[in-house]
Amino acid sequence: MVNFTVDQIRALMDRPTNIRNMSVIAHVDHGKSTLTDSLVSKAGIIASSKAGDVRFTDTREDEKERGITIKSTAISMYFQVNKEEIDAIKQKTEGSEFLINLIDSPGHVDFSSEVTAALRVTDGALVVVDCVEGVCVQTETVLRQALTERIKPVVIINKVDRALLELQVKPEELYQQFSRTIENVNVIISTYHDAALGDVQVYPDKGTVAFGSGLHGWAFTLRQFATRYSKKFGVDKEKMMGKLWGDNYFNPVTKKWTTKGTADGGKTLDRAFNTFVMDPIFKIFDAIMNYKKDSVFGMLEKLDVKLVPEEKDLEGKALLKVVMRKFLPAGDSLLEMIVINLPSPATAQRYRVETLYEGPMDDESAIGIRDCNPQAPLVLYVSKMVPTSDKGRFYAFGRVFSGTVRAGPKIRIQGPNYVPGKKDDLFVKSVQRTVLMMGRYVEPLEDCPAGNIVGLVGIDQFLLKSGTLTTSETAHNMKVMKFSVSPVVQVAVEVKNAADLPKLVEGLKRLTKSDPCVQAWIAESGEHIVAGAGELHLEICLKDLQEDHAGVPLKISDPVVGYRETVKTESSIVALSKSQNKHNRLYLKAQPLDEELTLAIENGKVNARDDFKARARVMADEYGWDVTDARKIWCFGPDTTGPNLLVDVTKGVQYLNEIKDSCVAAFQWATKEGVCAEENMRGVRVNILDVTLHTDAIHRGGGQIIPTCRRATYAACLLATPGIQEPVYLVEIQCPENAIGGIYSVLNQRRGQVFSEEQRVGTPMFSVKAYLPVNESFGFNGALRSATAGQAFPQNVFDHWDTMNGSPLEKGSKLEELVKNIRIRKGLKPDIPPLDTYYDKL
Amino acid sequence: MFYIIGLGLCDEKDITVRGLEAVKSCSRIYLEAYTSILMVDKSRLEAFYEKPLILADRDMVETESDEILRGADKENVGLLVVGDPFGATTHADIILRARALKIPVRVIHNASIMNAVGACGLQLYNFGQTVSLVFFTDTWKPDSFYDKIKENADLDMHTLILLDIKVKEQNEENLARGRKIYEPPRYMSIPQAVSQLLEIESLRQSEILVPEKTLAIGLSRVGGDESQQKIVSGTLADLATQPAEVFGEPLHSLVIVGKKLHHLEVEYAQQYAVNATNWRNVARDVYGCALDD
Repeated sequence: MVNFTVDQIRALMDRPTNIRNMSVIAHVDHGKSTLTDSLVSKAGIIASSKAGDVRFTDTREDEKERGITIKSTAISMYFQVNKEEIDAIKQKTEGSEFLINLIDSPGHVDFSSEVTAALRVTDGALVVVDCVEGVCVQTETVLRQALTERIKPVVIINKVDRALLELQVKPEELYQQFSRTIENVNVIISTYHDAALGDVQVYPDKGTVAFGSGLHGWAFTLRQFATRYSKKFGVDKEKMMGKLWGDNYFNPVTKKWTTKGTADGGKTLDRAFNTFVMDPIFKIFDAIMNYKKDSVFGMLEKLDVKLVPEEKDLEGKALLKVVMRKFLPAGDSLLEMIVINLPSPATAQRYRVETLYEGPMDDESAIGIRDCNPQAPLVLYVSKMVPTSDKGRFYAFGRVFSGTVRAGPKIRIQGPNYVPGKKDDLFVKSVQRTVLMMGRYVEPLEDCPAGNIVGLVGIDQFLLKSGTLTTSETAHNMKVMKFSVSPVVQVAVEVKNAADLPKLVEGLKRLTKSDPCVQAWIAESGEHIVAGAGELHLEICLKDLQEDHAGVPLKISDPVVGYRETVKTESSIVALSKSQNKHNRLYLKAQPLDEELTLAIENGKVNARDDFKARARVMADEYGWDVTDARKIWCFGPDTTGPNLLVDVTKGVQYLNEIKDSCVAAFQWATKEGVCAEENMRGVRVNILDVTLHTDAIHRGGGQIIPTCRRATYAACLLATPGIQEPVYLVEIQCPENAIGGIYSVLNQRRGQVFSEEQRVGTPMFSVKAYLPVNESFGFNGALRSATAGQAFPQNVFDHWDTMNGSPLEKGSKLEELVKNIRIRKGLKPDIPPLDTYYDKL
Repeated sequence: MFYIIGLGLCDEKDITVRGLEAVKSCSRIYLEAYTSILMVDKSRLEAFYEKPLILADRDMVETESDEILRGADKENVGLLVVGDPFGATTHADIILRARALKIPVRVIHNASIMNAVGACGLQLYNFGQTVSLVFFTDTWKPDSFYDKIKENADLDMHTLILLDIKVKEQNEENLARGRKIYEPPRYMSIPQAVSQLLEIESLRQSEILVPEKTLAIGLSRVGGDESQQKIVSGTLADLATQPAEVFGEPLHSLVIVGKKLHHLEVEYAQQYAVNATNWRNVARDVYGCALDD
């Protein structure tokens, strides 16, 4: 039975010190959803006997079929912490009742945008690491994402049962394996160290690392064992935890603690961790799996574990599961670890406000967020849309950072392009209902105060994917989430029956809403294009589109990759274009941006919305720009935030600011549809060197300047050795040694480059890392499986853009061929337009 | 021969006799229709000239001049321009091109708002630079016209302000992508023009367009008959509060009255005043014009 009521939860929502918003993150298949079950069962939402099998948070049919999580799912739980442990909580708390809002997220890289959306609304993360596989590529990605969002991690080393049952390791080996994994996690944490967050490395002896098995439903932290032993040894609990990890030994002869591994007589001592923690577990495993039932019951009595009669009749793994679950219930240990170590919204928002809020830190909204004040003006960030049972409608899923949200009052709905003081991308509407998200169910709520995660009904049509909701007229936006993946794989879709076209159009709208990362647009050729992070992501999106959002049969093209256009040198001569009425002339030059700066723009470190003076300082200090130039950046493009810059380097030109708007508009489109293949541009700086303008504004309006600026930009790019960049995956492949040959041959056929190959210490498995062009990745998994007899499992993460060799302008070259194909696909003339289309002679 | 023929201001009958003779001699005639518009449509012109006309929009005049000039060295080609051919600088370019192609060019003049503005009673001698006022957008508010009005004001001269028209204009996206999809036509009204002027005045604060102290005259369809031509005078504040209908149909122009104001000018424009007493008072008190009481 559910051991709490919605009223209880609602009451706890008013105590921000007793809330924990946390996400469960990990590499794919490390057991997040299974582990989440243990937590959910603790709350009585599912029967504890079913925990580990149900995967409660996998709500979709395809998630169950494939056994992977696709969408992140939120659930709220009530937890009462043991009164003795309250002292261990190093932040302000009231009472021993806690509200835990948990979000289970997908592990597959293709869905990491879901992780980003989950992290934004949480303050802490439970990082799940497979005890056998260790830290994998996606573990690092999600951990990095968490830390950049200032999310505090705790770790569980999962699947310990596998190590014990399948690998049959010794306690000391297991200890070494554990400490290696923890060390690897800590290396990543310290790489992304953030002073505001403090030291967030994890230590078993501080209780921030748990060990366990999600499948069997047991887990422990050293705190539990310390509680057992502290009385016995008469040692303080915290001290005891320290003794149970690292180089601490207990000499049973002298009954003394030591830090040396050998006793006086030269006898080797067992590590305290092994003696006091692993030994009982090993003994239980050994006794049960080897059918020494009598000794089992003896041990259980000593450990104070009571079984009901029918449980005593169980054998083997079933018995093991029951015993371990009673001995070390996962729900209790993990929820306790979460409550004690992860920050409450009241604690976390204090240091997160700077990274969350775009506006000044002293306005009413920023102060409301910082203090997590339910009486302050409302500031709520919607991080994603969750489909409702009502087809085509969505819950806006987000977190209240300040104020209280309730149905009725008008609130401002600010989209990502909203600029304070302007009316673009702004709606003033009211929320119809507020709901509590409970996995596959929702529960109605009257209102929801600051610090909580909430679902909103009735505002989905005013937001595309995410946005800021507020009641303050002066509020700026919450920062837009930066996704670690980008939609690099595209397909064209069309309806099989022409009459279904309106359904497709509507379906595409719903699809873009339902997924944080997917993009859909209509190409110049009239085709509908859907872009996703990878093959799997697209497959799921298209399935949703076909079966749910549009509900009509579709024809789907082969996947293609989006490229980027760039330049490799400075324009060889000044590009000149004249306006149609010949009264205005623009003189432009293009040059490449540094890759570091391009990346900084893409990661949001250098942002179009930053204060221009502060940004100019950063660009001068870190990227070697001239401060005056950096201050005269007119715009970023495409979409006003992209990694291309339009810079005014003119000297004393009259009326220049009156054409700025037209140039900015032209630059957006020029960078969105580059000169070679109408792909996005990337890493290009365009300098406006000089302009001559008609004195009367009517002869230099948008109609004259926009086409001219676009043509001049194209001409400047054609003169600056245009290049093409392709997306490249980082591929991590786990495999046994004999499969490595097959991996190399598949990678070689596909322009892949192996850059690291190492054995995982303590396992026969190898980990191979390689770069693989996304364009070559279609069908890669299948090819790899057949070349390695199914022994190799790849994970592809988008890593970087790679400038391809050669020039698209060179006749007969591979790049020209590539560009031609893109142009034909888009319904353009096959050849890149010659320079004189855009370049005017004086 | 390439003829550029002024059509005058009002309707098909404003063409000069010389212009009509030229039209009759042409084998191809284009009607330019973007810097200004006539008060009648193309079919009335065609019926009167007994010739078919080819409508030439901005795009055509600016980018397809070769097509317009085709064969003009052997036969006569005409380009009809509303007002006077040199009223707007735009047509200088096509004449240069014709010259470059060694095509003889003949310009036939006609009345233009530049001279017909005299209808409001102000002396043409005392006008300074003419400026255009474009439609403002949220982000684009070119205000360099203000400097020119100020230069005129400093010399006590009147300023003729031509108000923006948007015929066959593309929106920004279509412009940038080079797509020829056009927006519906728009014409700036006098109240809108006045509010834009006051907006810039409040930014620049040079006190040359103070609403209560600045006289102005709005003109509509100058050169049309009684029912069409409308002239309305008053302070900027007076004009700003009038409903748009008072000013008649587009096209509109606006005159900012300079300080060098003759008492006859005041008397003449008074008949158009929204508030005649106020008009006289401001002319006397602010402009320092000696008026008979």
